[in-house]
Amino acid sequence: MATAKELAGNTVDNTVVGPSILISGRLTGDEDLTVRGRVEGELTLSRTLIVEPSGVVKANVAVKNAIVSGVVVGNINATESVELTHEGRMVGDIRAPRVIIVDGASFRGRVDMGDVEPGRLPAERPAVNRPQATTRPTVRPGATPPRPPTPPAAPPRAATPPAPPPPPARTAPATTGPATVVSRPSAKPLPPPPPAAPAFTPRAAEPPRPASTEQASSASAPVSRVVAAGAKKKVVVKKSR
Amino acid sequence: MANTVIGSSIVIDGEISGDEVLVIQGTVKGKISLKESLYVEGSGVVEADIETQNVEIAGRVTGNIVASDKVELKTDCRVVGDIKAPRILIADGASFKGNVDMDMKER
Repeated sequence: MATAKELAGNTVDNTVVGPSILISGRLTGDEDLTVRGRVEGELTLSRTLIVEPSGVVKANVAVKNAIVSGVVVGNINATESVELTHEGRMVGDIRAPRVIIVDGASFRGRVDMGDVEPGRLPAERPAVNRPQATTRPTVRPGATPPRPPTPPAAPPRAATPPAPPPPPARTAPATTGPATVVSRPSAKPLPPPPPAAPAFTPRAAEPPRPASTEQASSASAPVSRVVAAGAKKKVVVKKSR
Repeated sequence: MANTVIGSSIVIDGEISGDEVLVIQGTVKGKISLKESLYVEGSGVVEADIETQNVEIAGRVTGNIVASDKVELKTDCRVVGDIKAPRILIADGASFKGNVDMDMKER
């Protein structure tokens, strides 16, 4: 928001579309553009587009940066970043390496940040997904994003049935044969959830897997010694089911 | 500041309408209709029909101009098209080709 105000203050010489102005057609340029009125059609800039609270843009937008405090209906394609401030309202798809959606902003559409770098995952993912989640239920029957929640929920369930296996896992040091057999069934329950969700599940499912195996091994420690002998047989029964 | 400025690197292909002062330093093609003043600055290029209250042109305009008050062609401007307004001023050095109509009975 601070950046938006600073830029707006500096752009007195630059292009400003005043509150009572309507531009319909194609607008291109190599400088910052501040929209306080309406722009409809197509908007292409090699620099920053600022849509102020009174501004309305109904256009396909291609810019370097976009700061939306007003209304945008249409797709935004930015080479650098798109920011929806707390006053911003937007319907359309965003395609940019950096997408910032602030609390209070309203947005309906898709976000594409391109190839997601692993280092960036934790910081940006939640910020983008939350607003989507709030708007989705009212408008769209979820396409892809609603799915990720289920796979994380599934692995825990899958992890609990294999919970009995841990004892045999503890017995593994004694006999290597059963241990490998047990590890396979525990792995099998996990794959079924992923097929439902395409792109998201690999990332979402991967963390739970190591966690579940760790839990299994750690949980097995106290229980195993008591049941160790009989555990093998129990596991075999479960396997047959 | 309710001023609309079309910067020098901006190209607009379409229609501009509104009721506030518009300053053009860039390029506008299509149509301009305002209820206020239009300023086409030295770097401004307009290929459009213009309908406003006042027009001041220092740049290049191709198209018909209809103003309800005044049209002013400044030095070094280049205008091609018909002008229709009750008051029309053409400064020394201005280049203009087209019809002038100061008879505004219709309006």
